[in-house]
Amino acid sequence: MECVVQGIIESQHVEALQILLQGLCGVPKERVRVHELCLKSGPNLGVVPSEVRLLCDLAQPTPSWTVRHVGGAMRGAGAEQISVLVRTIVESKVGHNVLRFFYSLGYKLDHELLKEGFVFRFQRGAQITVTVTSANKMPKLYATDEAVPVTPGIQLVEITAPAAAENYSEVVAAVSSFCEYLAPLLHLSKPGVSMGIVPTAAAAAASLMSNSGAKTL
Amino acid sequence: MESTGGAVPNQGQQPQPPAAGDAAVQPPPKAERLNAVLQQQLNLESVKTRAIGLYKAISRILEDFDAYARSNTTPKWQDILGQFSMVNMELFNIVEDIKKVSKAFVVCPKNVNAENAAILPVMLSSKLLPEIEAEDNAKREQLLYGLTNLPVHMQIEKLKGRIDMIETACEAAEKVIADARKAYGLGSRQGPTLVPTLDKVQAAKIQEQENLLRAAVNFGEGLRIHTDQRHLPSSLPSHLVDVLTFGDGTQNFGDNSGVYTKNTPSFSSNTVSTQGAVMQTPGTQLMGRPAPSPSGVTGTASFDNASTPPLPYANSPRSSTNMMNTPSPQQQTQQQQQRQKMMQIPQQHQQQLHAQQQLRQSPSPGVLGQSTMSQLNDIQGQTQQKFQQVPGQHQMQYSQPLSQQQFQNRQLQSPHMQHNIAQNQINQGNQLRSHLSQFSGAMNSALFNAAQSSPNSQMLTNMSATMQSQSLLPRMQFYNMAGGHPQRNHPSQIINDQMFGMNASNPANMVAMQQQQHGPQGGFGTIPTSNQNLQPGMVNFPQQRQQNQQ
Repeated sequence: MECVVQGIIESQHVEALQILLQGLCGVPKERVRVHELCLKSGPNLGVVPSEVRLLCDLAQPTPSWTVRHVGGAMRGAGAEQISVLVRTIVESKVGHNVLRFFYSLGYKLDHELLKEGFVFRFQRGAQITVTVTSANKMPKLYATDEAVPVTPGIQLVEITAPAAAENYSEVVAAVSSFCEYLAPLLHLSKPGVSMGIVPTAAAAAASLMSNSGAKTL
Repeated sequence: MESTGGAVPNQGQQPQPPAAGDAAVQPPPKAERLNAVLQQQLNLESVKTRAIGLYKAISRILEDFDAYARSNTTPKWQDILGQFSMVNMELFNIVEDIKKVSKAFVVCPKNVNAENAAILPVMLSSKLLPEIEAEDNAKREQLLYGLTNLPVHMQIEKLKGRIDMIETACEAAEKVIADARKAYGLGSRQGPTLVPTLDKVQAAKIQEQENLLRAAVNFGEGLRIHTDQRHLPSSLPSHLVDVLTFGDGTQNFGDNSGVYTKNTPSFSSNTVSTQGAVMQTPGTQLMGRPAPSPSGVTGTASFDNASTPPLPYANSPRSSTNMMNTPSPQQQTQQQQQRQKMMQIPQQHQQQLHAQQQLRQSPSPGVLGQSTMSQLNDIQGQTQQKFQQVPGQHQMQYSQPLSQQQFQNRQLQSPHMQHNIAQNQINQGNQLRSHLSQFSGAMNSALFNAAQSSPNSQMLTNMSATMQSQSLLPRMQFYNMAGGHPQRNHPSQIINDQMFGMNASNPANMVAMQQQQHGPQGGFGTIPTSNQNLQPGMVNFPQQRQQNQQ
């Protein structure tokens, strides 16, 4: 299971966000460049199609593949009260022929996405991963070199933390409290809920940038 | 301390001593009152109330500080400053009010004793303390330096000039500070900072962009390339070069749905074989009576042609639950044997059967199994809900198998799915009773006899008599009718059910089903024993169930 929240930030403030995260997390950022292929199962595998995501990490010299299945989210009154989405997730590293394998099973490519940005992974009550990426679409199949951003001016911020059924409430609390630190720059919410941008983000970003400017002097 | 005003003794100005006490002390019982004029100028009662209120506020603040000190937490300075300013203002107001009439009052010490006798005169005197007085003099000296010899009015002029200069300097400084604040975007210190609001148009644009982005990332909206336009680029990126060859590419994007019909109920060859077997022996086997069919029996007995479970799957339990994992070679032999049987099958099912057989040859690994698990769990949850909601026993069979069918379709190839299938099958009401064909003959006859007592028995006997010549489709109707609703026709689900015997490791369900059967309790007597075979294989079943129900 994992807890996840998403938010958007204007591209102009991404650097300020990076500075803020650097200060909060204390770890260096890692570059992220992931080619995400979303496969849907064909009718031979059942009436209800299942969806599987293959993530190819292109940031490393040798690409590494991960398969990921996103399950249903926790539902109920309790789930509605928490501001974080808790959902089942199955993830695994796989060999590089996973794509061919899934194709031969009858899965078909539904859509693909290239995510470029940076990520911070740190421990703060839970193992939290903050990913700030620009989602790019590819005009032609598999053409990762020709990817263009889906929304040029806006980038996606995603905060995830793995959880288990027993401890998900603590993880939810850790993620929520961390989200509060980012409140000056962005609103974070469950993936399906859109919250808009923070109107004062420009001021907050300016102050972050100016502070760092002073430091470098 | 008490104060007296005018010629009339009055009530204490201080908050502590109650007025009634004063009156009690003084011999005349009648309470003295302030001079009427003074009363207008200063309402002593209100002063007292305000003073008491102020005292309480201050003591509260002190208590808060005490608590902060004890608990070692950082206080919120904003709040504390606010409280201070409030207290300060209140005190200032009280003092101002009293100052107005202070001339009418004289401070008279009440408790004089040895302790404060010495200091009281000093406290009461209006003369400044020596240090303050000295300081005052020094300041005056500094101010009037150079002016003392001038006539007084000139001194005044000069002082006024100085004041003006200082005033202008202060104004200029304030202006500079305000300008600097604006330049740095710090906002004014006083008053609420204006929250910049987004222009409506801008906000709408951003909202639109956000929706686009979220939809793209989470659901893939706007990213799908139409199948026509999907052709491989001339140069693949490096990470895909060795993964994809052109041969594979073409087959992936073609729409294979033409081969399979829409709702592909899983149609196993084994089913066919068993049905064939059943058909050959009409009278003995057919069930009509829905009875839970333990897969243990079916597994071992059934696939009469399926002897060995697939060896390559080391981790698949070689138990009777392993029904689905029949190796293809054996299936193929079965298929050849059963070809003529398949002629009876409607075209649709034939195709499905072919499809199934093809699929069987490439069983999926555990990943796939897991990948469908969550969906299964969800659906099972739904099924269970349906199960519980439906009151009538006959309806049980209809609500569940639809999802069952879906489960089974998806699970055909995964050995790990068997557990799930077993779970799902427990939910099934009565269709699974079709497995009876796979039961031992004794059990079948027992069930059949038991079924005789049911109201449907007439139909059943009729159906069984004609079974041999029937095609598959009416067979399914028959199975449905076992529940008592002849109109319903669930074409393929029962065939599936035959495939997967009921892994009735959930005794509760079994009991439930038994209870809901009317009549043939005898038939169930043998079933629990066969269930025991399955128990070891169904270890994780209850846990999964719980997850589903969450």
